[in-house]
Amino acid sequence: MSIQSSVEVQTEWGIVSARQAGRNLAKEIGFGGVDQARITTAISELARNIYLYAEKGEIVIEAVEETRGAQKKKGIKITAKDRGPGIKNIREVMEDGYTTSGGLGAGLPGVRRLMDDFDVDSVMEEGTTITAIKWLR
Amino acid sequence: MRIPILKLSHYLLISVQVDLDDQTALQFQEDLLSKIHEEGSTGVVIDLTSVDMIDSFIAKVLGDVVEMSNLMGAKVVLTGIQPAVAITLIDMGIMLEEVPTALDLEQGLEKLQQELEG
Amino acid sequence: MHSSVVQAINDHQEQLVSNWKKEMARVQEEYFKNSLPDDLVFTNNEEFIDVLYSSVRLERSEAEGKIKHFAERLIQTDWPLSYFTQGMQAFRRIVTAYIVPYINNAEEDSMNLIVEVEEWVDAIVNQLVDDYSDSWVKTLELQQMALNELSAPLIPVFEKVSVMPLIGAIDTERAKLIMENLLDGIIQHRSQVVLIDITGVPVVDTMVANHIIQASKAVRLVGAECILVGIRPEIAQTIVNLGIDLSTFPTKSSLRKGIESALELTQRKMVRIEHGAEWRA
Repeated sequence: MSIQSSVEVQTEWGIVSARQAGRNLAKEIGFGGVDQARITTAISELARNIYLYAEKGEIVIEAVEETRGAQKKKGIKITAKDRGPGIKNIREVMEDGYTTSGGLGAGLPGVRRLMDDFDVDSVMEEGTTITAIKWLR
Repeated sequence: MRIPILKLSHYLLISVQVDLDDQTALQFQEDLLSKIHEEGSTGVVIDLTSVDMIDSFIAKVLGDVVEMSNLMGAKVVLTGIQPAVAITLIDMGIMLEEVPTALDLEQGLEKLQQELEG
Repeated sequence: MHSSVVQAINDHQEQLVSNWKKEMARVQEEYFKNSLPDDLVFTNNEEFIDVLYSSVRLERSEAEGKIKHFAERLIQTDWPLSYFTQGMQAFRRIVTAYIVPYINNAEEDSMNLIVEVEEWVDAIVNQLVDDYSDSWVKTLELQQMALNELSAPLIPVFEKVSVMPLIGAIDTERAKLIMENLLDGIIQHRSQVVLIDITGVPVVDTMVANHIIQASKAVRLVGAECILVGIRPEIAQTIVNLGIDLSTFPTKSSLRKGIESALELTQRKMVRIEHGAEWRA
């Protein structure tokens, strides 16, 4: 499968279109209603982080497949890339309730709980790449 | 985009029918508070039946709206939160514990009545 | 298979079959310790050898169909797969031992014949194993589906009041399903109060308790309330010993008391009808 879409996040509208692209692909892959909501929400959180902290960046949404033994798994992969200031202390932002924006502090730890695989790669002054995957049950 | 706010005697009714983006949510917060001020409303029902996603930002705006309205003397009930949305919020650790909820608009109005009279 | 092998197998049918039956009698005694019923072994042996022989003569696809049909019938009676594999191996032993000396002529190398017989036997064994494991996978899926359906029904008992009896162990996967059933059911039945009955849950550890707490919070978000009922004494003990805080969670010891408070929450109550009232008045 090579379905992939990329959304620029520079305005709040970018957040909305990233969400919509995510929901459409999640539906296409065959995710149920609850997982669609989880995926859309995770995308929203990641897109908002870009908008709030890096000003601009991109969200890439793609269908992925993995073969483990005889079983083939399908999933959706979200990659959030920016060239912002980077995250100083990753452990800190992964804590529930930690916030620098006055929000609920549920953003990144929330995304980790909503998705199955989660990975943060951040270099100070160079940018941050976050990948998150949800597998079809 | 603006979310219409309907008046029903002392109550205000809002049915959110659009995908909530940040600007719309903040605009709504402002509109609702000034409407409560104008009309002296004592109760508000916000129906979220058509909302298919609430992220931490929208949840924060909703929680704030409830708290702010309470300060202005209006009780707020959120109604029609969809199962998928509720599960996602719980997964994220957002419980909205201080916010009264009801199944639908009808039960929301009943709940307001009970809370204001009883 | 090579025609000379087929011919040999056919020509010596009587002797081969009788050798095979002797071999199977040994298998029944040594391998199955006579655990299979003798009369069934007898009829199954007859049919097995018949199917084998006809498969030698038939086209490949036809032969496969015949074997599949036979296997399916035995799968349904829980006949062990090892009976088939042992039977095929016995047949191979008999055929190679018996036939090779007869057809070892100038053109045919006996080694090639053995290989051909091996391939033929292996193909059938593979097919049997596939048929068996397909049926196991299918059974497992069906059981999983049945379990999921059984898993968490939401039963409307009064207007606005529903009960969800939980039975059996709760793992993360099941907890997710329970949560979804619970919330969808609440919307469908317009329930204001849901009684979650855990009488049938054998163990309540921190994880299970946590799932129940999460579910009740989600229930509140969609606009209803939960009451936990059916807490047995040993469950109450483990909950407190584990330090699980259920103090904010409305609980009742029995379903009956739960229903009473559910009715109260929806401004109703049960009253006894006084039969004597009419004539006394």
